[in-house]
Amino acid sequence: MLHVDLARGRCLRGEIPEELLRAYLGGRGLGVRLMRDYFTLDPFDPDLPLIFAVGPLCGTASPTSARLAAVSRSPLTETIYDCSAGGRFAWRLKASGVDALLVTGRSPEPVLLALDGERAELLPARALWGKGIRETVASLEGRGSVAAIGPAGENGVLFANIMMGEGNSIGRGGLGAVMGAKLLKAIVVNGSGETRVADRERFEAARGDVMRLFRASPVIFGELGIAEYGTPALVDLMAQRRMAPTENFSATFFAASGNYSGPSIRRECGARKDGCYGCPIQCKKSSREGEPLPEYETVNHFGALNGISDLKAIVKANTLCNELGMDTISAAATLSAFGEARGRFPLAEELPALLADTAYRRAEGELLSLGSRRVAERLGRPELSMSVKSLELPAYDPRGAYGMALAYATSNRGGCHLRAYPISHEILRKPVPTDRFSFSGKARIIKIAEDVNAAVDSLVACKFAFFGATLEEYGELLSAATGVDYGPESLKAIGERIYLTERFYNCANCFGVADDTLPERFFREAGTAGEGIEVPPIERARFREELQKYYRIRGLTPEGTFADPSFLDGMP
Amino acid sequence: MRDQLEKYAAKLAADRSALPEAIAFAARDDLLITAGAPDLARLAGGTLSRLNSLALVAASPSLPFAELLVARAPAGDCCIVPQDTETRTFLHDIPFLRKDELSADPSAAIARLLANRKGVIVEGVGIVAVGAITVEQAYINYSSVFHSTFVKYLQDLLADGFLLPGEREAFEEFRSRWLKPISVEGLAFRAMLSEDKDEILAEIESVGRYTVERGLVDSFFGNISARSGDLLYISQTAASLDELKGCIDPVPGDNSSTTGITASSELLAHRKIFEQTGAKAILHGHPKFSVVMSMLCESGDCTIKDCWKDCPRVRHLGGTPVVAGEIGAGGLAKRVPPVIGATGSAIVYGHGVFTLGRQGFGEAFAAMVDVENFCRDEYFRRLDGMEQR
Repeated sequence: MLHVDLARGRCLRGEIPEELLRAYLGGRGLGVRLMRDYFTLDPFDPDLPLIFAVGPLCGTASPTSARLAAVSRSPLTETIYDCSAGGRFAWRLKASGVDALLVTGRSPEPVLLALDGERAELLPARALWGKGIRETVASLEGRGSVAAIGPAGENGVLFANIMMGEGNSIGRGGLGAVMGAKLLKAIVVNGSGETRVADRERFEAARGDVMRLFRASPVIFGELGIAEYGTPALVDLMAQRRMAPTENFSATFFAASGNYSGPSIRRECGARKDGCYGCPIQCKKSSREGEPLPEYETVNHFGALNGISDLKAIVKANTLCNELGMDTISAAATLSAFGEARGRFPLAEELPALLADTAYRRAEGELLSLGSRRVAERLGRPELSMSVKSLELPAYDPRGAYGMALAYATSNRGGCHLRAYPISHEILRKPVPTDRFSFSGKARIIKIAEDVNAAVDSLVACKFAFFGATLEEYGELLSAATGVDYGPESLKAIGERIYLTERFYNCANCFGVADDTLPERFFREAGTAGEGIEVPPIERARFREELQKYYRIRGLTPEGTFADPSFLDGMP
Repeated sequence: MRDQLEKYAAKLAADRSALPEAIAFAARDDLLITAGAPDLARLAGGTLSRLNSLALVAASPSLPFAELLVARAPAGDCCIVPQDTETRTFLHDIPFLRKDELSADPSAAIARLLANRKGVIVEGVGIVAVGAITVEQAYINYSSVFHSTFVKYLQDLLADGFLLPGEREAFEEFRSRWLKPISVEGLAFRAMLSEDKDEILAEIESVGRYTVERGLVDSFFGNISARSGDLLYISQTAASLDELKGCIDPVPGDNSSTTGITASSELLAHRKIFEQTGAKAILHGHPKFSVVMSMLCESGDCTIKDCWKDCPRVRHLGGTPVVAGEIGAGGLAKRVPPVIGATGSAIVYGHGVFTLGRQGFGEAFAAMVDVENFCRDEYFRRLDGMEQR
């Protein structure tokens, strides 16, 4: 582990006890465990750590595993927060001999952290402060892989990202603002060490099993899957299923969504395959000019959610958010709530100025930089924030998938689709289909999926890998890589430990049953019917019943809290 | 959730993979519920309560093949490794517990194995399979183990003959009583499929149900499609062929829409077969004897080890071409289309059978029945011949 104390300008290497690595794996789990002494600190307290942790599969040929998790407390949601990101940065960090980078303190001046093999140093970065992501990354060319903040992070936008040099982002919860508050402009890593694999033959066999399952998955390598069209492959599907959030979730179908569907983006932008380092799926797409193209959530939210059908404007908004270092989902959803509150959604041509104002916190952007919950409250329309625990909901309307509805509510980082990812079975039929308009069994399913995904985020692997593979195959990869036997059940047990630890942190920060709910709109208003599909409001009593079931399954009180205040003492 | 337990217990009985009186399910929401044969239900509940999963089935298979495979396995072995595609892709191997490893309450030992695999064989008990998030998944995994053990036992028998006391008699019971003739008798097909969407969907639903009812699948998996102008209607991935209503995707030929992202993993194979043959309908199932016979290769001097994906040859079974190729984006979609046009059917090594209909599904269904019946006859011809030697 490398501990960087920005206040004192120190970089100290230390060992992570093996017991913790076995109990929490790495990535999200390790980061969450390392937060144990800090989780009640304010998100902008200089002593709050910002942690970058890789997983035990990073540096190996495990498919989709060149990833890391960034962990801290979110200034947007005030929950414990983690985000997974892929790319060379994670791989080079691991190759520097660092499983976890823990940054604390506030530097007196903007700085850059440079890791080159065993050497770690803090360098002045005043010249970079104020620069956009592209220029920052270009300025650091030759020094290794880059993670940097843009103007949004520097200015404390509550949904500022940390952007990776290759276009990946550590998004959603505003960890870019945490980094900015520490006056840490960028981190460059340039390790070249190798990761040992304990049993190479076993590893290759497991890798073959994973790749076979990828090839068998229509979502991954199918003709119409994400390898071909990226996540915008979901645009047409969500339109057909009548669950594409439209005009701040007042509707669930946008007639012009075909303008930004996967095939349209391919045709109009010349989309070509791109993606994370070491990933065989390559679900990200870039334009003919090499510009990263928007993902599903981004096209829907700058599109349908704001009533905009102009693909060029959507692509431009995505590019601008990347350049400014800002989360696209929260940015677009905040604009949408703002638009409904003031009586009109933004026009396509207004997006660039509004986004720039947000990143620089000027004019209306000062308000928009706070995210939709605070915007709606300050405009006297709190009901218009389509968020859970202040995190703006992504592009899966919960009225169209009841597991998703429950999972938004129980997510430890707020309204996120990726904690339990029920879209996988409710919509994409993986590993098996479930009835999207039924709550039956969903409490147990969500609990299990949260455990699974906490383990996945700690390996660290990409969630998309699990449209094909399972913990059975990834457990085998992990066993082969480490020489320690893991299987699905032992990994789920680790995931459960991680999940409950996060929940305990949140409860200690006063989160409870009142926060585990959805915006009122979903209980009162119907979505858009069509193609024989009705999208009624969610039945509130049934939702609450399932939430209480979920609490019982988790061993929580009816308030969603822990009966045992010493819970953490029993955790490794 | 109780309705789910009843539904899948009835399916196990209907497809004759389990003894109706020896089926039990357990499922957990906030409470644990069990249903079925009391002793097995206790075992199912006890095992599931030790796992972080939603459902579990414990049942005695209607055939002794899983037990016989355990009994035939060398001392010291703890799993069997069938070579069919389903096992290789989804199960990897099937662990087992021998009788002498079982305590009065074997649930802990079973749970330990299910911590790493989807299904296990417990000697003297049957097959126990887990469903991570649905009851249906437990049923699927039970069926997959049943299918895999069926295929492997028949393969092993052809290679090594009967080895155990009573084995021959048990097999004769299977041959004379369990096996039923497969035919198209009593089934109705549209002689010529029109371009009408509703008619096509209704026909696909019917044919899917026939395919399951006539035992041409393992559990309920396979896929089915029909062409209508520029549109291809195909069953969705993970769809029950006997419950296809609402589970058929229309896919435009020019990929102008991606709603078909939920279509069968064999979409590409279907599309290429349509392109290269001009067929109107395609049926794909996993009939057991065809799977067994497809893996029987008699070329002695071959150095290829991963036959299921690397074999470049086109072999024949009763005139039907047999090719290698993995499912989905693997090689199957490349190797089946060029060979299926001549005979209207093709077998994929260790996997199953594709058949096509030029006018409608009647021809495709009949072709699948013919292929399976040929393979069944050929299997017994060889087994009998071996016995006589």
